[in-house]
Amino acid sequence: MSAIHVTQLTFFTLHAPFDRMERAHQMWLLEHLRLAYYAKGEKLAEPSQGVADRFFIIKQGLVQGERQGSAGDAVVELHVGESFPVGALLARRAVSSAYRAVEDVFSFELSAEDFHTLLDMSLVFKDFCTRRIAALFDQSNQVIQAQYAQAANEHQSLSSPLSDVIRRTPVSCAPDTSLQDALTLMRDGHVGSMVVVDTANKPVGIFTLKDLLGRVVLPGLSTARPISEVMTPEPLSLPPGALAYEAAMAMARAGFHHVLVTGSDGALQGILSERDLFALQRVGLRQISMALRRAESVDALALLGKEIRSLTHNMMAQGVAAEQLTLFISTLNDLLSARLIELECRASGLIGTEIYEGMCWLVMGSGGRFEQTLYTDQDNALIFAVPDGMTADEVRMQLLPVALRVNQAMARCGFPLCTGNIMASNPQWCLSLEEWQNVFARWVDQGSPEALLRASIFFDFRALAGQRRMAESLRNWLSQYARDNTRFLHQMAANAIRNRPPLGMVRDFVLNDANRLDLKFNGLTPFVDAARIFSLAAGVTHTSTIQRLRLSAESLHIPSVEVEAWINALLFIQMLRLRHHYEVSVHQTDAGSGELDNLIEPALLNELDRRILKEAFRQARKVQARLTLDYQL
Amino acid sequence: MLQRWFATSPQLDAAQSAQLALWQALPEADRSAAYDQTRYVVVDVETTGLNLMTDTLISIGAVGVVNSRIVMADSFSVVLQQRESSGRNNILLHGISGSAQRAGEQPADALLAFLAFIGKDPLVAFHVTFDETMIRRAMRQYLGVSFKHPWLDLAYVIPSLFTGLMHTHRVLDDWTAHFDIANFARHNATADALATAQLLLIAMAEARKSDAANFDGLRSLERSYRYASGKT
Repeated sequence: MSAIHVTQLTFFTLHAPFDRMERAHQMWLLEHLRLAYYAKGEKLAEPSQGVADRFFIIKQGLVQGERQGSAGDAVVELHVGESFPVGALLARRAVSSAYRAVEDVFSFELSAEDFHTLLDMSLVFKDFCTRRIAALFDQSNQVIQAQYAQAANEHQSLSSPLSDVIRRTPVSCAPDTSLQDALTLMRDGHVGSMVVVDTANKPVGIFTLKDLLGRVVLPGLSTARPISEVMTPEPLSLPPGALAYEAAMAMARAGFHHVLVTGSDGALQGILSERDLFALQRVGLRQISMALRRAESVDALALLGKEIRSLTHNMMAQGVAAEQLTLFISTLNDLLSARLIELECRASGLIGTEIYEGMCWLVMGSGGRFEQTLYTDQDNALIFAVPDGMTADEVRMQLLPVALRVNQAMARCGFPLCTGNIMASNPQWCLSLEEWQNVFARWVDQGSPEALLRASIFFDFRALAGQRRMAESLRNWLSQYARDNTRFLHQMAANAIRNRPPLGMVRDFVLNDANRLDLKFNGLTPFVDAARIFSLAAGVTHTSTIQRLRLSAESLHIPSVEVEAWINALLFIQMLRLRHHYEVSVHQTDAGSGELDNLIEPALLNELDRRILKEAFRQARKVQARLTLDYQL
Repeated sequence: MLQRWFATSPQLDAAQSAQLALWQALPEADRSAAYDQTRYVVVDVETTGLNLMTDTLISIGAVGVVNSRIVMADSFSVVLQQRESSGRNNILLHGISGSAQRAGEQPADALLAFLAFIGKDPLVAFHVTFDETMIRRAMRQYLGVSFKHPWLDLAYVIPSLFTGLMHTHRVLDDWTAHFDIANFARHNATADALATAQLLLIAMAEARKSDAANFDGLRSLERSYRYASGKT
């Protein structure tokens, strides 16, 4: 054992993935490292050196990797704690980039042979090397969970003490009470269980309605018998300080449906049923969706809108992944909007008319892509069928006032009005199927900058309420029309790659004047734009970006590993965005009072998240490279 | 004081004598070998104080630089057993507690282990005079040998390579700060040796540009700087 470790181990406890490796593996790694110095401008590795012979971990300084033969574009920056080249070492080939010291660099080096030994030895290391972004992503998610766990505990959860969870006073009786009397008490108290206590109020048994059938009715027992003959003796009990999840586990273990809470003197304090715990666990997803469906006023819906937000926060706390989280938000927002449209249509006397039977409320933009965050502004439109004997204008005149009511009601429920007036109450966007086809065809044929911009919002439409078949007809028509028009796709692609992911040349990111980064525009948009083009080219009718990528990949022959890496990157950016929105919204006194920005300060991210974000932007570049290739831009 | 100069030779046991003889028999290092074909040992010592005549050696830290790479496993650290531990203020500086000092290695064994670690490879330090004097005195006292060894002093080599900085950068901390070399445990002999070794890597990279590609090349840089600055 050499002497140097103690002082150097600190470095490895600060940087992923080494920080998660077992201590013994960290020590082994240290024992096998050499420390080298590269003056500014020197090359650490380059393709001409042949099969990569060592693994670099940057101890100090900045390294830039540049792919040979390509423009200054394919540059990666590697900072303290980052390591390379993984791919080349795994495949035992030469590096594909030239790695140069941009500043004076001290780098630890591990021989290729030792690299492979460590790979076999440490699962953490292997996971990092083979899954890279996915592995980092997992690690980041665990950090997020830990951060939010604290906040979540303030809500009722399975980690609350039982004393906080029990609500009702238990119904109890003495052991000699007749079954007749006990059952009467249970009925009057609206409870399913009876706790049998002694004179000191200590539980000696429990009797539940479930026991009634097997122990009383079927054996034909007289209800004059005392309850002590049929009760379950020695009921399960826990102290008030025990946590809800302990109660859940105790029940599961003993197969009981109830657990009693008793004080230090043994006296009964409360009772908890399995159902009580279940309610805690599912923080009311079912209840909210039920309540949304049954809400009778906009005010009620506005309140539920607030609940959706707090529920979303709880789910973030429980570590629900961004994909499910956004789907969840979209689902509930859809339910809310659909109910709201129904209420307003009813209030306007539209329901039951021929017009109502042919109209469909469309949602576009991020809503259309199922990418809503907590505060997404409205992007919506109407499509309608023209009944015989009417003109489109006549239908429009009837629908517009209703649409206006809906738009305003939505604003009250926390969806700000669209500043660009892309809303159903705008006569421009309240159109018959035929009119929509004309508008879309014009955009596709023209391909002007304005048309491209419109297309990027409207082509992500989907049905929200009303007659889905109307939206489907339009979708099928568009799918065919756009697919045949390669010039338009080419223009969209050219437009999409103009928005370059802001990877920095000297530090990680290119930032705006306030040292901030727009997660939506710089991060999500490249994926969203590319997915739209892929889906139009492949004839995929789905509007969710993830589904578009997955479904288009096959017909466009994009390897699924590549697509999954894009999706991981997209989800990570989306998660950062949700977190940012949540953090900003808790500081706002009036929730939903304004549109939330998507600007984050990379400097405030932890090192791990910063690295993943950088990787995510690199994936965005890869998506764009694909477009460039496909459309020969 | 005087008994130190006229002390009788220390008594080494047979194994110790054999170890010493083995080291003495090693061939001298080739001082013209290129950096990437040689090993240097960077040394740092902690002592009871800064007086070269009266203070004594507490610990030695050393790091091997092989083929111009610091080899993390090739490092050495030893605490010499003290008759009495050093003063309180001094303990605060190097962080080796009184009990740790008394529990250290027997000085003769500690020094033999150090010799085995360095072999005949050239030694490097920042302000050699201090480290060399302390080690020489201990060698004479406990092993009865005159420790004559090639040393390189980075305190002269570095300023000769970065002449623009020579007036503002003097002590080790100045240079490590300039090159942004982190030291998690200053005044721990091994950690200081590692920081010094990083300076050596920088010096080698810089010296290569001026064709000083071996130990003798670095030594002549050192000498010319001593001459120029009048510190011969």
